[in-house]
Amino acid sequence: MITQDQIKAVSARLYEQSLKRVPQDTQAVLRKAREAEGNDTARKTIQIMLESADAAQQREQLVCSDVGIPVYSVKLGTRAQVQGSIRQAIVDGFADLAARIDPPILKMVTNPLTHQRSYAGKDMPIITFDLVDDSDVLELICAPKAMGSGRWEALDTFVFPSLETIETYVLDTVIKAGSQPCPPIVVGVGIGGTFDYAARMAKQQVLRPVGQANPEPTLAAMEERLLKAINSLGFGPMGTGGNATAMAVHIDYAASHGFVPIAVALNCWINRRAGARMKSDSDVEWFE
Amino acid sequence: MSGRTHELQLPLADEQVKELAVGDMVLLSGEITVSIGLPTHQRMVQSINDGVPLPVDLRGGAFFHLSTYLKEVPGALPQPLYMNPSTSTRYNAYMPTLIRSLGLKLVGGKGGLDAASVAAMREAGCAYLSFLGGGCTLLAQSIESCVASNWNEYISQFRLVTLKVRTLGPATVGIDAHGNSVYESLRGQALERRAQILNELNHQRRMAAGTAPG
Repeated sequence: MITQDQIKAVSARLYEQSLKRVPQDTQAVLRKAREAEGNDTARKTIQIMLESADAAQQREQLVCSDVGIPVYSVKLGTRAQVQGSIRQAIVDGFADLAARIDPPILKMVTNPLTHQRSYAGKDMPIITFDLVDDSDVLELICAPKAMGSGRWEALDTFVFPSLETIETYVLDTVIKAGSQPCPPIVVGVGIGGTFDYAARMAKQQVLRPVGQANPEPTLAAMEERLLKAINSLGFGPMGTGGNATAMAVHIDYAASHGFVPIAVALNCWINRRAGARMKSDSDVEWFE
Repeated sequence: MSGRTHELQLPLADEQVKELAVGDMVLLSGEITVSIGLPTHQRMVQSINDGVPLPVDLRGGAFFHLSTYLKEVPGALPQPLYMNPSTSTRYNAYMPTLIRSLGLKLVGGKGGLDAASVAAMREAGCAYLSFLGGGCTLLAQSIESCVASNWNEYISQFRLVTLKVRTLGPATVGIDAHGNSVYESLRGQALERRAQILNELNHQRRMAAGTAPG
């Protein structure tokens, strides 16, 4: 049995971990990117990124002061044994962490109508639920979203777009963000479905481990050429010039009508995410 | 781009600012003032327009879009726990007035400022520094003490906070005092390259589909 108390504790720990660690796969891509930079300033910038990631992890400190808003993706196996409310557990887990985390975090949760900021708000944390058939696992991923990258995400709807139109939209979204989303970024793309579904696909693609090819060859080829295209733009680390504007492009699609929403989600270089798979209170598997 | 590294003691003389070139790296020591509050910027501009002095003398100083968590200490100045930059373009509307009226020598944060700010910086002899986003722990190492915390009715990151720092950085010069902005030149370069990049994508798609001409 997975209890509400345990989900609360796991939710809190995931948020804390996502704030204090840069995922290993992301650090590995950054190390490669450092070697591939042609100019000194870009190489040094990636070097201090890696030092910052290391310092935060070693000293259990925050990587970034913009701790974002808490965003959780929940995948619930239809055979998972859960006691209590999952949503309430996550709400309480975030509230508990905000009250006790060391170092304390800044208030980022903002009422969009009044701009009042606090640690709590309507519908906060943002939680999405998916059901997984024939599974007894409850999976939680926490990926806080901050201003740097959150501000430049985009969605537009096209009618029977060509591949050229789709790829141009992704490239133009990255150009618009330019130096500002704390590059090198992870670019998640969702093509098709409906307005809301395209956005969710893009978001889930951002969370995919970096450095792994898409299992679908057509998408893998699109990812590869778009990554190369983006890294020819020249914005570079922290947007002060260089090769590494993106670490990865991750794409998914769904069948749609003739109208095709295309969503582009971005993550900054610290690529915050932390996950856990629970089967029972004593069986928790942590992942990045 | 392979710039020099400058170790600078604040406040800066005009000549020191003029020596900074885009792509150079900077380590700063001395007093800086920070805030990432939009209401803070609006109030600063309003105060200047009304002829009301700011609670801290920023003339000829360094003002950065850095945020810090201030831990309250009973009977003493608060203790800054960490520090990190925010996106400066959010404050584009306010920066030209602040730069010109206060004669700021250094501004900064991350992501740069727009053309109107670059023009104001050239007039005032001011440079923009890009700090590492996600650099909380490293940047905090350089904080020696909190010198003043003003407008404390705001949340921590919106206050006008003056800090004493030692070898803060390295930060990258993104805009110099001569009107050169790495942000403008990179945006221009990206837009210039766009057509060729899209052509290359077309070519690769044709190759993948096995229909490449020739």
